[in-house]
Amino acid sequence: MSLPVILLVLFALLLVGLLAWALRPPAGPVRPPLDVFEALSKSRHCLRISHIVQALHPEDTEYLRDTGQLALMQTLRRQRRRIALRYLDQLQEEFQELIEISRLLAVMSPELIGMEEMERWKLSLAFAANCAFLRWKLRLGLQPFSGFTLLSDLAISITRELDLASTRIAEAAVRSANPSASGDENIGGF
Amino acid sequence: MVEPLQLQTAAWALSSTLELGLFVQLLRRKLGRVYPLFFAYLLSTILQSIAVAALYRGGNFDKLTTWKIAWLTQGVVVFLRALVLIELARKVLSGYIGIWALARRLLLGVAAFVLVSDLLLSEGQWQWLILNGVRGLELAMAAVIVTMLMFARYYRVPVNSFQRSLAVGLCLFSIFYVVNYSLLERVLQEYVVLWNFFGIFSFMASLLVWIKAVTRYAESEAVALPPAISPELHGKLSAEVNTRLILLNRRLIQFLHLKDPHS
Repeated sequence: MSLPVILLVLFALLLVGLLAWALRPPAGPVRPPLDVFEALSKSRHCLRISHIVQALHPEDTEYLRDTGQLALMQTLRRQRRRIALRYLDQLQEEFQELIEISRLLAVMSPELIGMEEMERWKLSLAFAANCAFLRWKLRLGLQPFSGFTLLSDLAISITRELDLASTRIAEAAVRSANPSASGDENIGGF
Repeated sequence: MVEPLQLQTAAWALSSTLELGLFVQLLRRKLGRVYPLFFAYLLSTILQSIAVAALYRGGNFDKLTTWKIAWLTQGVVVFLRALVLIELARKVLSGYIGIWALARRLLLGVAAFVLVSDLLLSEGQWQWLILNGVRGLELAMAAVIVTMLMFARYYRVPVNSFQRSLAVGLCLFSIFYVVNYSLLERVLQEYVVLWNFFGIFSFMASLLVWIKAVTRYAESEAVALPPAISPELHGKLSAEVNTRLILLNRRLIQFLHLKDPHS
């Protein structure tokens, strides 16, 4: 059998797998739009990122070694790593919530820009990969600072996209409600 | 012992019976008006069965003409199946203007890419072009169905059970055609009976999936349909949503300014 035939058959079998995946029921129940939007008013874990990074810094506990309390230093570092892992779980949950909101906005939006949607898909993949990487780094006791900064940047990037999307929807809503209104008015500005 | 040709004829007769059964069910459930292209596709398969049977049993044409006519009818059936796919995608996604606009471009891109890739990967002489082209089209249709379902899943767009069954039946048939044709392409002449038998068998499986979906259609569609609301209520709800969107926008800006270390 030639290589092209093998490739075609493999692609066909891959499609069967993807079909089965696409037909699975969603992981969780679909939340009503208002519930999802309400989630935006909650306090954000991202805001506490500097405290977590500070707590994980070796210098923060290094003085214990100088005073001869090595065991205490190690216990403290272990505890802080555990807290950081929990923080990471919350951060991921928060990110998923933002993605959920962005999907909801996409469903309501009269216009989607393919490149922006693609960026978001890539962003969520990158975020999931970074989270997994960071989790392993923490478990192995390695320094995770660059990873945390990267995750924080990703979350900020998603927020910016959401802001743009909701501005577009609000503008479209106002235009449809008041056809005489100028298209240049920026609703998101107030 | 049963001859392979007799087995194939029996399978063909059973497949035609299933086609007629589905046709009657579609008429009884009045689904022809909801899914006119699916109805037309099914009708074309029934007419094709009749035409091919008449051609091979009673026709006075030479072998090449018979082959050409048979493939022409197949072309019509495949074309109508592609239209069913468009109908299905429209039913699932067209209610969401932004998503539908993006999905149309994406699905067309996927279809074109898969079709061209298949033709480029195909070897052999120009006589095989039609067969390879049909395989490319089948593969493209399967890829489009899978992409559409993944797209709907990503955006949490509801797909009712009839639409799912329609998609599954179309996709599995197309995939089976591709695998069947690709594996038997080189030895097609020797195993033509087996090839046809597998083809009929996979189509029968799709017909059974569709018959089950049509039989259960009333209940599933009743759950999926949104309740009708008056224009006044619609106006109120619309205003409420707009207000909430503007509030959301304000929150987002506050959120952005609080979080963004670069601003």
